[in-house]
Amino acid sequence: MRPTCPEIILRQEVLKDGFHRDLLIKVKFGEIMEDLQTCRLLIKHSIPAGLFVDPYELASLQEKNITEAEMVSENFNIEAPSYLSEESEVLIYARQDARCVDCFQAFLPVHYRYHRPHSEGAETLIVVRNPDLLMSCDRELPVLRSWAQSEAAAPCALRSKDICQWSSLKYRPIHKNVTLQVPVGLSIHTSLVCSVTLLVTILCSSLILVAVFKYGNFSL
Amino acid sequence: MSSSSHWGARFPSLLVRPAGVFAVAFLARVVLVFYGVLQDRTLHVRYTDIDYQVFTDAARFVTQGCSPYLRATYRYTPLLAWLLTPNVCLSELFGKFLFVSCDLLTAFLLYRLLLLKGLGQRQACGYCVFWLLNPLPMAVSSRGNADSVVASLVLMALYLIEKRLIACAAVFYGFAVHMKMYPVTYVLPIALHLLPERDDDQRRQSRLFLQARLYAFLKRLCSRAVLIFVAVAGFTFFALSLGFYVKYGWGFVEHTYLYHLTRRDIRHNFSPYFYMLYLTAESKWSFPLGIAAFLPQFILLLAVSFTYYRDLAFCCFLHTSIFVTFNKVCTSQYFLWYLCLLPLVMPLVRMSWKRAVVLLVLWFIGQALWLAPAYLLEFQGKNTFLFIWLASLVFLFINCSILIQIISHYKEEPPAKRIKYD
Repeated sequence: MRPTCPEIILRQEVLKDGFHRDLLIKVKFGEIMEDLQTCRLLIKHSIPAGLFVDPYELASLQEKNITEAEMVSENFNIEAPSYLSEESEVLIYARQDARCVDCFQAFLPVHYRYHRPHSEGAETLIVVRNPDLLMSCDRELPVLRSWAQSEAAAPCALRSKDICQWSSLKYRPIHKNVTLQVPVGLSIHTSLVCSVTLLVTILCSSLILVAVFKYGNFSL
Repeated sequence: MSSSSHWGARFPSLLVRPAGVFAVAFLARVVLVFYGVLQDRTLHVRYTDIDYQVFTDAARFVTQGCSPYLRATYRYTPLLAWLLTPNVCLSELFGKFLFVSCDLLTAFLLYRLLLLKGLGQRQACGYCVFWLLNPLPMAVSSRGNADSVVASLVLMALYLIEKRLIACAAVFYGFAVHMKMYPVTYVLPIALHLLPERDDDQRRQSRLFLQARLYAFLKRLCSRAVLIFVAVAGFTFFALSLGFYVKYGWGFVEHTYLYHLTRRDIRHNFSPYFYMLYLTAESKWSFPLGIAAFLPQFILLLAVSFTYYRDLAFCCFLHTSIFVTFNKVCTSQYFLWYLCLLPLVMPLVRMSWKRAVVLLVLWFIGQALWLAPAYLLEFQGKNTFLFIWLASLVFLFINCSILIQIISHYKEEPPAKRIKYD
């Protein structure tokens, strides 16, 4: 009987709270293999329009040796709301996890964009799908053939101009996808907010105007 | 003269010589710059502002012969990137020391302007202490924000107007407007300030119809000093804009000017209009509401210009405070734009020490009330939009109360002391 292939398990977690979150991706290979040390793991992630990644932050994190990640998409606007933005693609070069043998992990700081106000519910959901796992090994690994489902071309290393052939791996994700909740404004407040804001600003400006005419020497 | 409880009366006894105060202020800022280097290297939270990194990256592009606008979020004049090219060639701290120097130049110009108003050396220095030993401008310059450059340009223009060097003042004013758009509102008070005094003939004309008065006013506006100022300032501004447009193309116009004029930042900020603009960002009311938000600013600026043009520093201070308070976007950086003029205003605002402290504490409480729900929103993900909005309205109310208190306690100089220009 042909032995079944060891499974690759992927887990995506989102750390921290608020508008600035950290995406942590952990990949565990089902079987302990020494040859895995010669392999590199590349995570190709499609970040939804509701989130954005700051490429300058990535560059400074790379300098501090915390993570190796690069944005593929160009023409991004960091300040745009989600409905005026598109999905962006990020390449993260995963590292070997020191605490677990044959584990890789990757870390990516993400930020929320502002979302459209909602009529019910104070929160909108962002769905983060599971990424593509790409692997490239120095030596030919037989087990790689059972994991690989297709081939892809991608840069060999961060900021490298050389393109290598990577194998896209099939894996089992722990969660189907990760859901994030973004607080949004409530559109039922619109008429209240508009009327009160205009009222207060007109009142305040009238008070200042009265003071200017009363205490000042207005002359045309 | 001033009562014993007037805040200015307390300062002179606390001080040494002006040179000593300036030296202490300079040392404090240098220490902060080096502390910033230490914090950046050790802690995860950086001391240096993200804007400074943007300036340095843009300066790097300039040294490579490219446009500074290749750097995303660089929304400033190319002059700033050019000025900071030694950041790339010499040391990354050059820019910070440049901003610290502009900070001290601002204080020096404040000191000279106060001397021109007739204050004694120690008294003038006492008011300058408000800027020199104030932690806010210290922190802002040492963190790498460029606001002190604009502040020094504006103060240089005001100083040169008082010294009757109109053309020089206009050049500095043109540069200031090119760097940040907010000084453009000063053009009306400056023009009114440079006009000659109305003689009896013209005063009789004020009994005529509105149209005739308007015509007479416009005719008065064409005095030599005003024409020189407007022409030279306009020429400086357009020469700079044209030069940079030729070199960097439409990107320059878009990032340096249009972005700031059409900026609708729906992300949370101190402005009372923030939540209103966020909720109506995609609706058809967005444009009319924008105009409704602009009208109070506009009317107030006109009224203040015609009332206080005789004291240019006070008028500009009111202009910028009103502009910032009623603006559609307001961040804490904007406060420096009017705080740099406060030492010039303080001698003539006859307010008791206690009242001034109460107003200052109220101002800080207003900011704290806003910062609390904003922190909960941004770093804890709680939906506090309504609280942020309410806090911004409270802050607006506090700012207006402070402005009204300053206006009601302001005592103008007697007319005999005013300088004539024509």
